Amino acid sequence: MLPLQLRLLLVLGALLAFVVISNRVRRERILVEDAIFWMVLAAVLVVLAIFPQIAVMASQALGFMSASNFVFLAVIVLLFWKAFTNASEISRLKDKVNELAQEIALERLEHEEARAQASEEPREEEDPQGELAR
Amino acid sequence: MRVLAVVPAFNEEQCLFATVDMLVQACPDVDCLIVNDGSRDRTAQVARRCAARVANLPVNTGLTSALKTGMKYAQRHGYDAVVQFDADGQHLPRYIPQLAAALEEGGAHVAIASRYLDGSVRPTGARGAGSRLITLLIRITTGAVITDPTSGMRMYDRQMIRLFAQGFDCAPEPDTIALVAREQGAVVEIQASMRERQGGESYLKLGNVLKYMARTCLSIIMLRFLR
Repeated sequence: MLPLQLRLLLVLGALLAFVVISNRVRRERILVEDAIFWMVLAAVLVVLAIFPQIAVMASQALGFMSASNFVFLAVIVLLFWKAFTNASEISRLKDKVNELAQEIALERLEHEEARAQASEEPREEEDPQGELAR
Repeated sequence: MRVLAVVPAFNEEQCLFATVDMLVQACPDVDCLIVNDGSRDRTAQVARRCAARVANLPVNTGLTSALKTGMKYAQRHGYDAVVQFDADGQHLPRYIPQLAAALEEGGAHVAIASRYLDGSVRPTGARGAGSRLITLLIRITTGAVITDPTSGMRMYDRQMIRLFAQGFDCAPEPDTIALVAREQGAVVEIQASMRERQGGESYLKLGNVLKYMARTCLSIIMLRFLR
């Protein structure tokens, strides 16, 4: 059986999480699509606290010493998963930021070269108007 | 053969002008593109005085991305080869024609200016040991012998330009060289000497060397099996 204290803690933690997440969504600090994961996670914890049989049955089937061990491991696995998906999301964001920076730099250079050509400057790399200065 | 020299520069106000000046004097038929990688010093102003094209990245994005900027430029303007040339004055432009010749003759994709090819100079110190380890790893995983995999002076052909310009994860590092070296004869080397950097801060301090080594070796092994 899950200890009563742990069940109460799970419910309290989940309620706190609901409040924090709702607040963040309302104040536009997180996209709803990204908040969904945390809402669902909190909901799962509540379900586990209300129906401890789920954890008990799963822990017996998988050979855990106790139901709480199963709950802990499940939470750890979920967090690992979330951390990894975050890492890959950050990779993609880094790549996008770099791509944008590169395109801005090249765009400005092309613009500069086109202008230099149009004004028939002898040296296309000259920049009399300071256009490249940011 | 139209060659573009890409000079990535991050906080290189001290050496940039002298380096580019030397490059342009020595190789007048090589076009030069300075990629100012969001420098916080006066690199942008110095670059504007150079006889070269300048691309200013609005934020600092790292060497890989700076080189990618140059590769995109080269691809869009139809260059046949790109030579990666350090802004700190380590690299000597007189090897550029030799690199180009090595690329053309051998039908290779990458030509590296190697400090250790003829054996007259031996890699020493922590960096030397690291360099040997990478050489060994590349030989084990690909069979190719690359005497100076960490040399930053490399020339790339059209196929590599496309790879760097469009690939998601292509760093101008030994792991990419190892990836390419799997195809026989794809990577060639010429003997070259290099100078000490002429000013500014080196990125490769001992702690960084260890980190760099660990990352590079693991990356070579991972790429061997994953790509």
